[in-house]
Amino acid sequence: MTISTPAPNPARFIRADGPDKVTGSGRYTADLTLTGMLAAKFKYAGIAHGRITRLDTTAAKAIPGVFAVLTQADVPNVRFGGFVQDRTLFADGVVRFEAEIVAAVAAVDAATAQRAVDAIVVEYEPLPVVNDPEAALTADAPLVHTDWASYGASGALVRERNDASFSSIAKGDVDRGMAEAAVVVRSRYDADGCHAAPIEPRAIVAQWEGDKVTIWTTTQVPYDARAGVCETLELPANRVRIIVPHLGGGFGGKCGFHFEAHIAALAKAARRPVRLLFSRREEFLAPDKRRESICYDFETGVSSDGRIVARRVTMVLDNGAYTADAGFFSQLGAMHALGPYRIPNLLAEAHLAYTNHQPSGSVRAPTAPQTCWALESHTDEVARAIGMDPVAFRQLNAVDTGAEGPSGQTYGEIGVQECIERAARMAGYGQQLPGDEAIGVAIGWWPSFAVPSGAYVKIDGDGSAQIITGAQECGTGSVMTLPQLAADELGMSAADFQLVYQDTSVAPYDMGATGSQTLFNNGRAVIAAAAQIAEQLRALAADHLEADPADIVLANGQAFVAGTPDRAVPIATLAGIAAGGELLIGHGSGMPPGPPPISGSTCVGDAGVAAWVAPQFSCHAVRVKLDRDTGVARIMHVAAAHDSGTIINPLGAEGQVQGGVLMGIGQALTEGTSYDNEAHQRNAGLLDYKLQTCADAPPMDIHFVQINTPNAGPHGAKGLAEAPNVATAAAIANAIAQLVGAPVRQLPMTAERVWDALQEVAQNTIGGAA
Amino acid sequence: MSFTIARTVEDALAAIAAGARPIAGGTDLVVGARHGKAALPADLVAIDRIAGLDEITVGAGNGGVTLGANVSHHAIEHHPVLAGSYSALADGSALVGSPATRHVGTIGGNVMNASPAMDTGAGLVVLGAEVELRSVHGTRRVPIGELWSGPGRTIAQPDELCVAVHLPQPAPNSGSAYLRLEYRRAMEIAVVGAAANITLAADGTVAAVRVALSAVGPTIVSVTGLDTLVGSVDDVADAVAAAASEQATPISDVRASDRYRRHTVGVMARRAVVAAARRAAGETIAIPVNRTLGIGAAS
Repeated sequence: MTISTPAPNPARFIRADGPDKVTGSGRYTADLTLTGMLAAKFKYAGIAHGRITRLDTTAAKAIPGVFAVLTQADVPNVRFGGFVQDRTLFADGVVRFEAEIVAAVAAVDAATAQRAVDAIVVEYEPLPVVNDPEAALTADAPLVHTDWASYGASGALVRERNDASFSSIAKGDVDRGMAEAAVVVRSRYDADGCHAAPIEPRAIVAQWEGDKVTIWTTTQVPYDARAGVCETLELPANRVRIIVPHLGGGFGGKCGFHFEAHIAALAKAARRPVRLLFSRREEFLAPDKRRESICYDFETGVSSDGRIVARRVTMVLDNGAYTADAGFFSQLGAMHALGPYRIPNLLAEAHLAYTNHQPSGSVRAPTAPQTCWALESHTDEVARAIGMDPVAFRQLNAVDTGAEGPSGQTYGEIGVQECIERAARMAGYGQQLPGDEAIGVAIGWWPSFAVPSGAYVKIDGDGSAQIITGAQECGTGSVMTLPQLAADELGMSAADFQLVYQDTSVAPYDMGATGSQTLFNNGRAVIAAAAQIAEQLRALAADHLEADPADIVLANGQAFVAGTPDRAVPIATLAGIAAGGELLIGHGSGMPPGPPPISGSTCVGDAGVAAWVAPQFSCHAVRVKLDRDTGVARIMHVAAAHDSGTIINPLGAEGQVQGGVLMGIGQALTEGTSYDNEAHQRNAGLLDYKLQTCADAPPMDIHFVQINTPNAGPHGAKGLAEAPNVATAAAIANAIAQLVGAPVRQLPMTAERVWDALQEVAQNTIGGAA
Repeated sequence: MSFTIARTVEDALAAIAAGARPIAGGTDLVVGARHGKAALPADLVAIDRIAGLDEITVGAGNGGVTLGANVSHHAIEHHPVLAGSYSALADGSALVGSPATRHVGTIGGNVMNASPAMDTGAGLVVLGAEVELRSVHGTRRVPIGELWSGPGRTIAQPDELCVAVHLPQPAPNSGSAYLRLEYRRAMEIAVVGAAANITLAADGTVAAVRVALSAVGPTIVSVTGLDTLVGSVDDVADAVAAAASEQATPISDVRASDRYRRHTVGVMARRAVVAAARRAAGETIAIPVNRTLGIGAAS
């Protein structure tokens, strides 16, 4: 059924930045030291909601060695935010979450800076804490932003009081569908928020030279960071340079604009370079990026032959105190709650509720893993209710090539059905298992994001080449894949190319390491740039070999005349010729593919994510062993099948899936933020926020369903960085539900929550018997 | 502020008498300071280079084993006599932190840090360990169960240094095990833990049992009322599980509720009894028993 067309040069290559990183020769932002550099520290609110009644920095400024103390009074009065302009650099009279920045200090060293922070006097009038997203939407809930109506905001957003973004997708007649269904299943699920938790805590160094500032920073999105600095400090783009040394991971947590402007403002006020280094605790509390908690109410109606006839879902997402990049999460979450299924009648409604929590933002596949967990747990409940095997139920109801998805998009060739079949087979689904083991299956999906992107390619006189790209490497290896694409275009070897990247003043724009978009879009740009040089080379070779440029073939480092490979000239020779004339410089961007049409659905609060370019599909099947005495679940094996289009570098792709799966296991079992009654995080550290370790990694089998997808990325590639993180927790949940005898309705499914569910089943069984 | 590198115990004792705090692996002291638990002491004396303090002496005293205070968890985990005859201790050491932590973390540091969640404490209690404390004024031995006076607190005087941990010769036909409830397999702290030391009679029934619990009270909890407990392994395991849950005084925190801890410490105690009895019967269960039996696997 599937046509398997690999890339021109499928290659299992080791990423070029690997040796630097593992030997320690690579340099990260925290490694930078500049002459006269000061240390920055922030004064945090410490309470979740309060009005500032007194803010006095006099004593802090008087401490010897303190060069600058800044508050909102010292920076331009700018409200910013990509979706809702609800934020200022420093607290503007009100603090709305515990790690809101009230002031910043630059001092000779970190200890002095901390002393100054401690000497800043802040007094608050406490305000009622909004600690529950659902309660935040009630009519009498205290407002997190009393001035919400006056804020500037994207016109696509539907806002009302604490609801920062309402979105709905409707199709058919959901009431009639439910009425006609043979069985209707209702479920409630609650997912806690969690963290990106990259290994490298944030670091920023800022240095002014005249009216220009250079900022070295740990961002996944250098151009976005630059835009934030320009907006809040009122500077033109060409006076702000963002450089990212090696980045120690991000997982989405380092997307967006964070603290670059604070440090730039400190450096300007202090007239010295300033460096910020986050502690692990700050890394947990302060960034406006963590995975949103979401609660769900599902209702699905099925016909007697097992077809989904209607689905209704209401979901409330925790926006936190400010709308970082979460404005589109309500629509994206609604898409995930509907899922890659054929559903004739549906209504999904999603609310993005302000609370006094840390702001939410794009962590690897935002809204997807927790929503997939809830939807796919619900899906197993539906299958069970009509006595169908969960895999067969999905095979019957999932979308397929030519089918129409929930928002009314009709798919071209897609591999979801083959993913289901492959994952089930790799997991040994259906085999006889011990009584404490079960296999759970879940399907997931994720869009590719088609956006503008640019790159230059040049070949110097000695034949060596450079790719100068705006793309950002956050650890996925996507940037490391670019030389392969240029090499394929130019008949050269990937080793002939060096990368110059992560510097906004050197390379053209790219959106950054976000939305699994790097290879998809910057790959297109690099190929376009290389194609310009290829044309130059063919012209030079045609001259040199006295042939028609159209007959020149570039391969194996040579240009030769088609059909007569001995009429050849090395590309290096041509580069030498070009160095004395018209230089070999290519620039590329290419037009991003447009959104596919959708029809038959009504989208309110349309953030543009109901129609998906080159959608990615996956199916994970996980074998779990459960200790029923303690509720501890152990992952025995993971089978992951992915349709991410053509795979350019299988080794790198497998690494993405392994990492995504392990992150998914953490989200399933151990990773969740716990808030106390005053909206303080209770586990803001690596001791009690439990990431999975290498020792926990189970054996995995990975398969790529490779479809050369039109209207996608290079050679038919889709994205891959986020998709592997989508379906793992859901598959684990479905195994646990079989072993417990009921779903665990909270995420993470900690041992204690699983044990509680076991107790409840035991009680109901006893109660039923009596 | 000073940092002294001691070459002998006497050097160290002199520095400690003058107010310095000892540091060996630094896995608790430095990590605690970074987390703001307690500032790093102004004066430190490094004891990690004292000759002989990292030795394991087999046949010491009445056929027991003496561990120098600087013996690492890694050394304990891989010592054949400790793994074979003092398995509960080796089970515990093998679970500490990561390979890196186990190479620098020491038994002396672990014992004197007095965390109720420590992984070696319950094993040391059921094995009847004694701690040797020394100061410039002399030496004394303290039964390990009497050492801890609260979380992070011991009865040691400020000028006393733990120089050794003494383990008596195990009884014939005995075996021991420590296991813990954990949410992941490395860099973990016990949610609850239990150690058991079992002596079997000739007919395979339990003749004597000692059980201690971690992370369910202000210090390691030695389960009482077991002196007269004899019978089949299953019956003893049932009684121990009940006693463990009964005697535990756990707290609720972000890791677990008191209710869940009280239940699971019984489960862990039962499994420790069963594993110890299997070892007492001559079966080899590789160190650590947590891994050999599988996290969460029914034992």
